[in-house]
Parts: sequence; structure tokens; C-alpha cells
Amino acid sequence: MSETRHLLQLHDLDLLLEEARDPELTARLRRLGFGPGDVAAIERSRMRLLAQLDARWLGSYGRALQRYGRGLAAVRDRVCLGCYITLPTSASPRTRGTLTLCESCGRVLYWH
Amino acid sequence: MSTSLLASVLDPSLFVPDLRTRRKESVLGEMIARAHLAGAVRLPELLRETLVLRERAGSTAVGKGVAVPHARSLSVSEPHLVVARSRRGLAWTPGDPQPVTLVLLALSPAEVPAEGHLDFVARVVGATRLQRNRQKLLEAESFDAVAAVLREVVA
Repeated sequence: MSETRHLLQLHDLDLLLEEARDPELTARLRRLGFGPGDVAAIERSRMRLLAQLDARWLGSYGRALQRYGRGLAAVRDRVCLGCYITLPTSASPRTRGTLTLCESCGRVLYWH
Repeated sequence: MSTSLLASVLDPSLFVPDLRTRRKESVLGEMIARAHLAGAVRLPELLRETLVLRERAGSTAVGKGVAVPHARSLSVSEPHLVVARSRRGLAWTPGDPQPVTLVLLALSPAEVPAEGHLDFVARVVGATRLQRNRQKLLEAESFDAVAAVLREVVA
């Protein structure tokens, strides 16, 4: 699995954790009929994923996660979907699926 | 999520009248493949891993033969609902004697807040609460009939 894939996976997994750790959200899910979520299982998967990530991306991701609750944002029409700033043309990577950093908010950017 | 928004997530190409597979992970793969083919999912493998992880952390079966797997993911750019049925039934939760015959896969983009996503999921679960609605969804002969039931239920 590539570095990009690992980081995207980490991001989706952190969204799962956000739901699983929030008592109000989990109570709501229980009322809807869903079974109890195993937070520890998700955290174990996260630890395994972290061990495979490059420290440089992990540092940027972790800082943005701590600051904003999201470490990574997708880019749509050259707009960072984290802080909604329009990114300069020069910020566009040559290849789709590449990671860069948002110069405004510092989130890792996923260009697709 | 409003009624009109739930209606907007319904797409005829995201309907699987009778699933070919029976194992939970294969079913998720089949539904994601359908969504990918319809252009609703960008990174099918990423979404599959996310959904499988959620299932491992806790089953998404909500009783009465219904499962509502769901996720917010970077793989998804717009909210979508993938509707699938299994005439033979699926063993969704280990130890649960009731097979799942209706699977409603609720997908939201990563940017959607958790509360907004759960509003969407709650609407979907709510649509299957009554036996007569489940029956209509299972017996509908076309996607239009399925969509009509879902629209009627949330109206």
C-alpha cells in the first residue's frame, strides 16, 4: 500500500474513531439499533497504520488533526475543503492522487 | 437531512435487486463496485477497508433482516444510498439467526460532520422500521418502486 493510501486510510479511520468515541453519537447509534462499537479494535488498526507511515506526513497530519479535528482535506476545483481557501495554480501537483500541504491551514491535501 | 435531500441520494444505478454474493465482506465489495461503476465512489478499496473495519468494530445490522453499513469517506464526493436485496439472505452478524435480506449502504463525503451523517443514517433506518415498508422494499420490482417507497416513508 502506498504512502498516500495509508494516509487516506488513517483519515477515514479517524472519522470512525470520532463517532465511536463520542458518547452522544454512540448512544444515538444504539437507539437506532446498531450494536456496540469496539473502539479498541479501531485504535489497534490505527496503531498498525501509524507504524507504516512516513514521519514527515505523520507530523503534518497530527498537528492539523490536533488543531482542527481533521488532519487531511480533499481538494475540489482547487479549493481546500478544510479551510475553503482557493489554492494557487502553482500548488496543483502534476499527478492526481498526490499529497501536498495547504499553505493556509497546514492540512495535508489530497488532490483527486 | 431533509426529505428532498434523501430523495436526491437515490440513483437507479445504485440498486442491486438480488446480490450475487453472500459473505458480508463480499457483499460490501459488490455494492461498492456498483457505486464505483456509477461514478459515486472514487477509491473503492479505501471505502471497502473503512466499511470492513466498521463491521469488525461492531455489526451494522439493525434487526428485522436489515443492515445499514455506513461511512464518511474521502472516497465519496456526494451523499449516496446504495440499495441491495438478497433473496437467499445473508449471515450478517455471527450468532444472529435472522438473515439479512435488505442492505442499505449510506455514504457521506468526509467533509460532512458526524451529526449530519447520522441524520442521514437515521432517515435510512427509519424508512425500514415498519414491516409493511420493509415488505414493499423487498417486493418492489424496479428501482422506481423502491425510490417511491423511500420517498413516501420519509415524506
